[in-house]
Amino acid sequence: MGSRLLKLWMLIALLVLTAWSPAANRMTADAGQGPHFSSIGPLTFGPDGTLFAADPQAAAIFAVDLGAFATGGAPGAKDIPAIDRKIAAMLGTDAREIAVTDLAVHPRTHNAFMSVMRGQGAGAAPVLLRIDGAARIEMVALQNLKYSKVTLPNAPDVNSTNPRNTRTQSVTDMAFVDGRLFVAGLSNEEFSSKLRSLPYPFSSADRGTSVEIFHGNHGQLETRSPVYAFVPYTVNNTPHLIAGYVCTPLVKFPVSSLTPGAKVRGTTIAELGNRNRPLDMVLYRKDGKEFLLMSNNSRGVMKIPTARFGDAAAITSPVAGETQGLPYETITTMKGIEQLDLLDAQNSLVLARAETGTLNLEVVPLP
Amino acid sequence: MTPRPALLAALVCALAIGAACSRPSAGSPDGPSVRLTLPPDGAGRAFIEVVGLSSDDLRALSAARRTTEQWTALLRVSVGGEAPPMLGTYSVTRSALRFTPAFPLDPGRQYETRVDLAGLPRAAGNGPRSGVLVTTVSRPAMTTTPSTVVARVYPSADVLPQNQLRFYIQFSGPMGLRAGLDHVHLVDEHGREVEDPFLPLNAELWDADRTRYTIFVDPGRVKTGLLPQQQLGPSLQSGRTYTLVIDREWRDAAGLPLKEPFRRTFRVGPSDEEPIQPEAWMIAAPARGTRDPLLVTFPEPLDHGLLLRSLGVSYASGARLDGQSRVEARETRWVFVPHAPWRAGEYRLVVLSILEDLAGNQIGRPFEVDRFDEIDDAEPKTIFRPFKVGSRQ
Repeated sequence: MGSRLLKLWMLIALLVLTAWSPAANRMTADAGQGPHFSSIGPLTFGPDGTLFAADPQAAAIFAVDLGAFATGGAPGAKDIPAIDRKIAAMLGTDAREIAVTDLAVHPRTHNAFMSVMRGQGAGAAPVLLRIDGAARIEMVALQNLKYSKVTLPNAPDVNSTNPRNTRTQSVTDMAFVDGRLFVAGLSNEEFSSKLRSLPYPFSSADRGTSVEIFHGNHGQLETRSPVYAFVPYTVNNTPHLIAGYVCTPLVKFPVSSLTPGAKVRGTTIAELGNRNRPLDMVLYRKDGKEFLLMSNNSRGVMKIPTARFGDAAAITSPVAGETQGLPYETITTMKGIEQLDLLDAQNSLVLARAETGTLNLEVVPLP
Repeated sequence: MTPRPALLAALVCALAIGAACSRPSAGSPDGPSVRLTLPPDGAGRAFIEVVGLSSDDLRALSAARRTTEQWTALLRVSVGGEAPPMLGTYSVTRSALRFTPAFPLDPGRQYETRVDLAGLPRAAGNGPRSGVLVTTVSRPAMTTTPSTVVARVYPSADVLPQNQLRFYIQFSGPMGLRAGLDHVHLVDEHGREVEDPFLPLNAELWDADRTRYTIFVDPGRVKTGLLPQQQLGPSLQSGRTYTLVIDREWRDAAGLPLKEPFRRTFRVGPSDEEPIQPEAWMIAAPARGTRDPLLVTFPEPLDHGLLLRSLGVSYASGARLDGQSRVEARETRWVFVPHAPWRAGEYRLVVLSILEDLAGNQIGRPFEVDRFDEIDDAEPKTIFRPFKVGSRQ
């Protein structure tokens, strides 16, 4: 191609349009009885006890009315040593053949719900379990439960003969805030960490919004690093999300900023250490003060007072040491925490990996 | 999650057995025994049955209403030892008491069945009716010879930019559930392993059939001023040579290790911070009346995964063209063969703006620039490059 032709292309041939948008790529919502999961991942509860469960393989979120499973069991949850072995045995297999994908506590019964994948590869089966205050483990029979479902938009694909679309969308965390479900997701192809805000009840008409989030610390540079865990929190009467990233900056965003097209730039209020990523976050009150409890993959469980979340100075320059910003305390008694949720006003519920390799369900007093 | 298909299969089996065993039976002279029945064609669920019961025994069993706990007390199936009973459903057919597990039995695993003989409804009958009948059943083990291999690693180029963003590891078969990142290493030319070169995620990035694994090089290690780069340095450095090493110990869907470890050595060149420029692509238009391939050649390799779905062909009217496409020449060429011969006239190469090069640069937008715009993926931006069939460009 000659240079004259090249210029011609640059002048007239590059048409940027938004018209190539097949209807199949729209977000869809439906409802029915007996939700069918192809996989099961993150769980979170709405305040009325609706269970939101992600099906990462199908890029879908189910809102499940737990029916009889929202009552009936002994209230609360109880320690179960080697719960991975017990669950695996109930499912007819070995602990190495199951993967616990999340743990969430019902807001009224305080029973624990666990999402588990049983088996390997294409034969892996999703399982939802309830653990009650008598340490009874039950598989939640889904066939009679009512649900609604939202399917996230498919991957754009202009190649009508692509033999197989290899793109998938993982859901990494969810939280319910003021009638909206916030869903953090990652694609296995495009490098984008999206936070999607979906209205609930789900509606095909309202596609929700999705934004990419930056955090603008380290000398005004931004990064699109994925959000690993987040929790809703009201700062100065304004709803916010508190989010954790890899190498552990703690970042706050006003929920109102999470609208399409908006510049969503977080304020870094703490740097909590490198070579680390957050796993779960819960908020609780103790002795008249409020704290954020955050589990991490390599730096244990951190207890961070929230009192200064509103007025903490934004960190905008490179951190000289390992940490900066808000102070925190490492809870040395909580080790190997792989899943963390709030059980009640006094206790957390955790899945802790013991040195022997077994996974224990433990009720741990809030520190 | 629901065992409904299994229940249906069990019901069908029960009806079939019922039809075949319609005559009253006095039971086996040897007393009850346990057998495992596997679905003949691999479809449906295997089930475990207590056979050798008389018609009267079965009628009594069928008439009694029992809770799951009561059924379990009668026939307990477990993985053995002190393990809790397995989840499943109980039914009574014309010839047996049947347990259908909620999930398929693992090949090669031993399952223990315990039948409380004294708990059976009729104390009279053939054979012993006291004590516990303990039996072990198992499905045949599957092959124990590892066969899964790393089929390809993308990108295929020998030289990658310092800010290389991702690798796709393509396996020959589906892989297991366990986290994979610990099995992937980056080793420099001196044999030293690069520390934490990849972005750790709370999710494993697989395609739907679990044969392709995506790993991202931590972008924070590329960008000057970010904490990971300050504390750990860049993952890849221009002018150096690295080897991507994949451990044999990574388990496939059958729980077996890979057939062999995998190594791919590549050199690293300067960072690529230039956006993709479709105007620099060479389009070799085919001749009319033929099904010759349309060849689109790029001046640099582009991302393999995104190439597969970011390029298409349409008529000038906008209607899509059907055909077969492939990526070749180390991700520097996209080839499209239409199902029907090319007609003379105008066509468009359709390009989604999500296309990225090896460093994550998109069309008209380098990776590191702010992206504070609409990103809802239901309406991807589309770029058209017209071309003509009938006269070579």
